[in-house]
Amino acid sequence: MAKAFILDRGSILERLGGDEEIYSMMVDMFLQDVNNNCAAIASAFAAGDSQTLQREAHTIKGLLATFSDDVGAADAMLVERQAKNGEIDGLADAVAGLQLRLREVAAVLSAG
Amino acid sequence: MHSVLIVDDSDINLTLIKALVLKLGDCSPILFDNPLSALEWCRENVPDLVIVDYMMPDMDGLRFISAFRALHGRDEIPVLMITANDQKDVRYDALLGGANDFLTKPIDRIEFSARARNMLSLRTGQKFLADRAAHLSALVEARTAEIREREKELIFRISRAAEFRDPETGAHIQRMAHYSQIIAQGLDLSPSTQKLILEAAPMHDVGKIGIPDYILLKPGKLTPEEFEVMKGHARIGHELLKNSRSEIMQAGAEVAISHHEKYDGSGYPFGLKGKHIPLFGRIVAVADVFDALTSERPYKRAWPLDDACKFLEDGRGKHFDPLCIEAFLAGWEQVLEIRQRFRDEEIPQI
Repeated sequence: MAKAFILDRGSILERLGGDEEIYSMMVDMFLQDVNNNCAAIASAFAAGDSQTLQREAHTIKGLLATFSDDVGAADAMLVERQAKNGEIDGLADAVAGLQLRLREVAAVLSAG
Repeated sequence: MHSVLIVDDSDINLTLIKALVLKLGDCSPILFDNPLSALEWCRENVPDLVIVDYMMPDMDGLRFISAFRALHGRDEIPVLMITANDQKDVRYDALLGGANDFLTKPIDRIEFSARARNMLSLRTGQKFLADRAAHLSALVEARTAEIREREKELIFRISRAAEFRDPETGAHIQRMAHYSQIIAQGLDLSPSTQKLILEAAPMHDVGKIGIPDYILLKPGKLTPEEFEVMKGHARIGHELLKNSRSEIMQAGAEVAISHHEKYDGSGYPFGLKGKHIPLFGRIVAVADVFDALTSERPYKRAWPLDDACKFLEDGRGKHFDPLCIEAFLAGWEQVLEIRQRFRDEEIPQI
C-alpha cells in the first residue's frame, strides 16, 4: 500500500448521522473481527478457492469503505474482480497487502 | 411496530443496520446472517421491510429476493438491497428481480433513514388498504347475512300466513322443505342449490292465501268446480312471488307454479311433462305428497310409512320423476330424522 491510512473520523461520523454510539460500536466490531477477516482471505487464497476469495475481498472492501479508507477499498475491489474472473494466481501480494491494510486500519482505530 | 428483516452475512453490517433501524423508531429488527435461515423464517412470518445484502454465501441477494417473492403474500413487501457502488449491473438485475430500492455501501445514515422510511410508508399504506378492504368485505358479508336471514324469516312467515288458513301445519313446511333438500342432495345438486330449495320450498302453497275459505276449509270432497278454483293456488302463488330480485323468491315462484305438475303430463296448471317440469317443481312434488300422506289431518289419518313409500314407488314415472323418487328413498335415514325433528305438536306458533 502506497498511501498510509489516515482516520477521517469526521466523514465517518457524518455518514453515521453524527452518532458516536454507532461509531464506537463499529470500531469495536472491526477490531474484534480483524483477525478472522485476515485469516479468512488468506485461507481462501491458499486453497485456490476463487469464489470464497471474491467474497472475502468483497467483505474487506465493505469494511474498509465503512471507515472511509478509499485506497484500501479500491485495492480490495481489484482482488474481488480478479477472483471473480478466476485470475487468482498473481494475487499473493495483493492478498497479503489487504491483510496488512486491515491491521493498519485496526491499529489506527485502536489509537484514535 | 414495524418488523424489519435484515439479512447480511457480515456481523458488522448486521450490527450497523440494526442500530440504524432502531434509530428509525417504532421498528423491531430481525437479524439473520444466513439467507436460507431468513427464508425459512419468512415462510411463517411476514416482515414489513426486508433489507438484504447482495453478496452472501449459499444464496446471493438476487436469489433471496426471487425466493422471497415466490412465497405466498410476499410479492408486495418492500425490499431494499445493499450493493456496492461499483455493482451497477447487479442493481439492474435486482430491480428486475423484485427489489424496490437500494442502499449503497458504505451505508450512509441519512440515505438509509430516508429510503427505509419511504419503504415503511409504502408498507403502512399497503396494510391500511388491505385492512380496509378486509374490514369492508367483512362488513358486507355480515350485512348480507343479516338481510338473507331477514329474507328467510319473511318467507317463513308468509308461508305460515297461508298455512294458517289451511289444516296443514308449520311443521309440514319444515319437513317438506328438508325432504326437498334431501332429494336435491341425492341428485348431486350443488350445496348452494340444495340450500336454495330448502329456503324456497316452504312457499309452495303460498297461493292458498287467495282461495276462498269455503273451498280451502271444506271438510268434504271438493266439487269439480271447487277443485278448479283450488287449483288456482299454483298461479296465485306464482303471481305473488314472480319478478322478484331475490333468488329465493324466484325459486319460490317456480316451486309454486310447478309443484302440482305430474311427470306424465296429467298435472296442473299447465300439464307439463317429464323434464319440461322445472326441477324444483319435480322435487317439491315428491316431498310435499310424501309429507301430506304421512301426516294426520282432521279429515284423514296418517298413512303408514310403508304405504306412503309404495305410493311414491307406484307413482314413479307417472306422478313423480323417477330420479327424484330414487334420491328421496336413498336418503331414507335422513327422512326419518327429519320426521323426528319436526313433529306437528312441537312447532311453536307465531
